Amino acid sequence: MALVETVASVVLNGLQQGAIFALLGIGMTIIFGTMDFLNLAHGALYLIGAYAGMVVLRSTELRGGLLSGSGITVVGLEYGFLMALVLVPLVGFVVGVVMERFVADPFYDRPHTDQLLVTFGIALIIQEVVKGIMGDTTYQSVTVRRILGVDVSGPVSLPVVGSFPQWRLYIILIALVVIGLTYVIIERTDFGLVVRAGTQDAEMVRLLGIKITRSYLVVFGLGAALAALAGLIGASIQTISPQIGIERALIPAFLVIVVGGAGSVVGAIVGGMVLGFTIAAMTIHASQWAQIVMYAVAAVVLLSKPQGLFGSVEVEE
Amino acid sequence: MSEDADRASEDTQQVDGGAVIDGDHDGPAIEQARSLLGHDLGLLVITSLILLVFPFLLVDGLGILGEILGRRIGGYEGLAALVLTYGIVVIGFNILLEYTGLLSFGHAAFFGAAAYAAGIISAGTEVDFIVWGVSLFVLDLPAVTSPLLMVVFGTLVATLLAWPIGFLSIRRSGIYFAVLTLTFGQMLYFWALSPGAALTNGDNGFSDVHVGELFGTIRLGADVPVLELVGINDWEYLFVAFFAVLAIGTAHRIVNSPYGLIFKALGENERRVSFVGLNVFRYKLMAFVISAAFAGVGGSLFVMQEQYIHPTTGLYWITSGDFVIMTVLGGTGSLVGPMFGALVFEYINNVVSGISLPVIGPIRSLWRLVLGAVFVFVVWFFPRGIHGGLVDLGRALRSFAAFVVWAVRDPAAFRELLLDTVVAYRAAAADRIEAALSRIGIGGDRR
Repeated sequence: MALVETVASVVLNGLQQGAIFALLGIGMTIIFGTMDFLNLAHGALYLIGAYAGMVVLRSTELRGGLLSGSGITVVGLEYGFLMALVLVPLVGFVVGVVMERFVADPFYDRPHTDQLLVTFGIALIIQEVVKGIMGDTTYQSVTVRRILGVDVSGPVSLPVVGSFPQWRLYIILIALVVIGLTYVIIERTDFGLVVRAGTQDAEMVRLLGIKITRSYLVVFGLGAALAALAGLIGASIQTISPQIGIERALIPAFLVIVVGGAGSVVGAIVGGMVLGFTIAAMTIHASQWAQIVMYAVAAVVLLSKPQGLFGSVEVEE
Repeated sequence: MSEDADRASEDTQQVDGGAVIDGDHDGPAIEQARSLLGHDLGLLVITSLILLVFPFLLVDGLGILGEILGRRIGGYEGLAALVLTYGIVVIGFNILLEYTGLLSFGHAAFFGAAAYAAGIISAGTEVDFIVWGVSLFVLDLPAVTSPLLMVVFGTLVATLLAWPIGFLSIRRSGIYFAVLTLTFGQMLYFWALSPGAALTNGDNGFSDVHVGELFGTIRLGADVPVLELVGINDWEYLFVAFFAVLAIGTAHRIVNSPYGLIFKALGENERRVSFVGLNVFRYKLMAFVISAAFAGVGGSLFVMQEQYIHPTTGLYWITSGDFVIMTVLGGTGSLVGPMFGALVFEYINNVVSGISLPVIGPIRSLWRLVLGAVFVFVVWFFPRGIHGGLVDLGRALRSFAAFVVWAVRDPAAFRELLLDTVVAYRAAAADRIEAALSRIGIGGDRR
């Protein structure tokens, strides 16, 4: 493979992987930055998104689990992808709001370690509930064929790279648009101003008479919706099983905010891209070292720049 | 946080931890040492006795209870040894978490590395070092099957691994420390999974474990003569129990030594420790290495029982998470607390998962749901863990009993106290009502 082709392929794969990472990272970082709450159940929201996406998009024959045990063997709505694009983040938002009220709120004033522990437990519970309902099996990824009558599956011929799955380009597009929208909401609107002010000094915002608790709800829901969206996108290209929440979402999200800098949206985008490109580049030549190098990059950033590439606040114990 | 102070204190004179206590009591130092030794011996004897009856309680005691309840809730033979194995790991983990306040998410690295090291050295195979397809050199390892040497070697590897990882990770605190240890652990996991497969047998797991005779005579699987009566069927349990007693004794000695006092001080106020001229970095690193050595002992014992180790059971970060869960479940406030956590964790994992409930049916793979629920419950309501909760409950019951005794003995004083309480409560309620009224603008004076 010529160098140009290699680079182009790395860029496309890196963008795709990085965009998913960034979606996860942004969700986690705005929750962390605003409420100073570390949510280890973030991966579980990705998991919910992936399964919700699967149910909305296609009919799946269930293998095992409570549903198939009680006679329901096929679930699925077979709505189109656009419907899923609305419904799945909505599900994520609702779960996020519930989580904020009943899990996060009692733990805002307790140490980070307690937050980590309780959300880790919640992550386990959600994973096991999903496993119990949908069965402990691995389902195939959902292939999206048409959006508004346009064929989106199948390969497309690109100038330099050659044949490339068309759907992956759409993923990059969708993710980048959503990331852009989130950026605008956080950086350019009044609501975003409150959120960012809350990141700096929540006490002060409250003293100014702004109801920060209401923003907390929205921010938590928004972060959860982004994670669910990442799950939907992930479900369209990768297999779906109860473990993906912890394996494919939680750790990357964590690394992204640590590399990018906790509490910074730009940092999460850059962090996601850095890790995505690292994986994409390593996959081409030494795929078995890809994960190792990704972790090494995170470790090097952490050691040399503890506040992250774009971080404004350093996390204290 | 106090990195500048750390660096500054590195250059200053090293003050030995021993000086802290010795200054206060010079005269009766020997006497004090003797009483400490006696205390230690007492602890060891009590622990040994408890561990001797532990399998009986777990297997037969719960078994009889289970027959009454009509459910199989008794443990099985191997479970007792497994609980102690994990118990050793979390006792060490607790030294790090409780005393220095460092939450590691990478202790599976030490557990797994020791397990692999002990397993590999017992196999004695040829190891071909291949880097990017090129064979560098072939190492012909002799098979070391002595159980004691396997544990020593595994622990050594874990300790040596902990040094560089700790050296880098200790530089950061709080959540960053957790993430750093996590990244190092995960790097090792992915290495063992595929690039290091020549050594670890990758995703197939390493099963070439040969456990030889203890002192060249005792096979670990062989029957124990007399102790059969108390439910101890093989030497393996005794072997593990020996290390468990050793671990508790060592941990107790460390925690109660001047050195351990500095660990405690680190957890309470790191900055002050550095202000009195102690090298914070060095003590934290030592706490880290010590806890890794405990994990190493546990890992070596684990591979000897299971005769098999896979990257996921040994090195994956979920295993680190399990250590955290066990420690926090049991309670970080005491030395043996985490042992309770290991017991509850493994009990849910191995026994509760086999129970069948009326509506839900067999629990089987849902055991983690039960575990997660128990865990969230404990973190939420008993921040000091099961052991701490039990201690609090005991204390509350004791003080209630004392109160009842006092009330019975002196009814007049009790009546007076009751009256006082009622009067005070009424005054407080009146205050609160007035405050509420003034807030909505009715009556009262505005402040």
